[in-house]
Amino acid sequence: MIEVEHLSKTYVDTPVVDDVTFFVPEGQVLGFLGPNGAGKTTTMRMLTAFLPPTAGRVVVAGVDLDADPVGLRRNVGYLPESVPLYPELRVTEYLRFRADVEGVPREKVRENLEYVIDRCLIGDVAGRVIGTLSKGYRQRVGLAGALIHRPPVLILDEPTVGLDPNQIIRIRELIRELGKEHTVILSTHILPEVEQVCERVLIIDHGRIVADGSPEALRTRLVGNPVVVAELRGANGAAVEALAGLPGVLEVRPMDGGLYRIEHETDADPREAIFRLAVERGWVLTGLRQEAASLEDVFVRLTTRDSAGEAGAPDETPPDDAPAAEESASAGEATTGIAHDREEV
Amino acid sequence: MRKVLAILRRELVAYFSSPLAYIVMTAFLLLQGYIFYLIVSYLNRPQTMAMTPLRLFFGGTIFFWLFLLFVVPVITMRLIAEERRSGTIETLLTAPVTEGQVITGKFLSALAFYVILWLPTVVYVIILRQHSSVDLGPVAAGYLGVLLLGFLFLGVGTFTSTLTNNQLIAAILAFAAMVALFSVGLIQQLLVSSSALKSVLEYMNLWTQMDDFAKGIVDSRHVVYTLSTGIFFLFLATKSLEVKKWR
Repeated sequence: MIEVEHLSKTYVDTPVVDDVTFFVPEGQVLGFLGPNGAGKTTTMRMLTAFLPPTAGRVVVAGVDLDADPVGLRRNVGYLPESVPLYPELRVTEYLRFRADVEGVPREKVRENLEYVIDRCLIGDVAGRVIGTLSKGYRQRVGLAGALIHRPPVLILDEPTVGLDPNQIIRIRELIRELGKEHTVILSTHILPEVEQVCERVLIIDHGRIVADGSPEALRTRLVGNPVVVAELRGANGAAVEALAGLPGVLEVRPMDGGLYRIEHETDADPREAIFRLAVERGWVLTGLRQEAASLEDVFVRLTTRDSAGEAGAPDETPPDDAPAAEESASAGEATTGIAHDREEV
Repeated sequence: MRKVLAILRRELVAYFSSPLAYIVMTAFLLLQGYIFYLIVSYLNRPQTMAMTPLRLFFGGTIFFWLFLLFVVPVITMRLIAEERRSGTIETLLTAPVTEGQVITGKFLSALAFYVILWLPTVVYVIILRQHSSVDLGPVAAGYLGVLLLGFLFLGVGTFTSTLTNNQLIAAILAFAAMVALFSVGLIQQLLVSSSALKSVLEYMNLWTQMDDFAKGIVDSRHVVYTLSTGIFFLFLATKSLEVKKWR
């Protein structure tokens, strides 16, 4: 559905997007992840034929950007980050305007209007002036505007920024729903969003793709195997061997305080077996918890390792860490508690 | 065409949902009313010489020019600058429309507003006609002149609005450009010798052009000058929009 090959954008001498290549099959919801200034928005603007690329090839739904930029725009619905709307218009007036500009056939305008109003749950504000709407409603009106011509591809630039937690949940549900009928690219720097909404994640940093895969696969590849930590009282030296013998367990390492770090295969969950083993051997199991690395860790690792490597001093605090942390702090307002996790990192 | 119309319509809604439109229209009508009063009192004096009274109305007074030079930038300043400031330019130019269509729609909406501004002045002509004989030819030519002048100036304003995301700067640039266009024509009066330059500048003299129209003279050179210059600026606006899409 979307083919991007060696796409680059250079402003004066600074490459903002640097040789990016990826394909998105039809019906996929792709998360586009990266710190601010990583080149997400620039990439999206090129995919929507707003900015001309410096080099590379973009094909969306079979239309080549170089050959027919206006035709390409017809296949794409785009919601920019700032959700630009005309505050003086009523919601239906705005959607009609968008339908006209997007070239929706006259006889289909009414039908599409009803569809997007229904889809984006804006029926109760349809007659209101956009300037008086809350941020959450505006976001949905913006989304409705991007959907009005029923494009096969939907590109959303940080669609949940600035919303309250309830609104975020609703927008994410909506995007998941839309993902069933449209191919969606969604940019964000909020990591749980990607885990909840997307089937595939593309992490971009300094204009380059640094990771590509499903949220689970990325986690495994970059953080290693999932880990269970068991706290056993009365266990002896034989415990390590016994635990290691459980199905699916890869490695067992005893730690201080009777803790055992048990690394296991991704699709196996040895917790039940650990419990049974403890009962069998007469150990007291006082704690058992799963230590799954979040995508957050992956993200920080990827986007900081890269810049540290470039600087040639892996021990120094990578310069990129600061903006990334700052950014998640501002996003934290909306994502409830994520900022705190990050601060520990 | 439908896309151009959609842009035109949205822009007109924007005009009339801001107080600016009403302020401009009120000020315009006050000024035109005053000029009309001057004309009538002038005509009432017994020693009035024979002249076309509506010449005063169409560009015969400095008020006309002052007001035009102020009001046109106010009409055009928001066209692209506001879209750029609010970011709506991004949704507009990721829809399947060309830059040319955007500029055309925007410009036509400004022209429509300008026409709406002038429309109530037709009442003056009707009033005059009830009390004296008014030759409708020069009146029609006068309105044509006003329209052409508007075409030129609004084209300039549309162009300057593409240059910035700040309405005020767009208005000041438009004002400066229009004053320059207006005064090159006046400079020729200061030149004594009948050089080629003088005749070129004479050709560009908007004041005498407008005066000709008010006298009922529709000179094709004037029509060509205003239309072609206006279109040239609209072309520049389109190019400027193509190049300067990012904020």
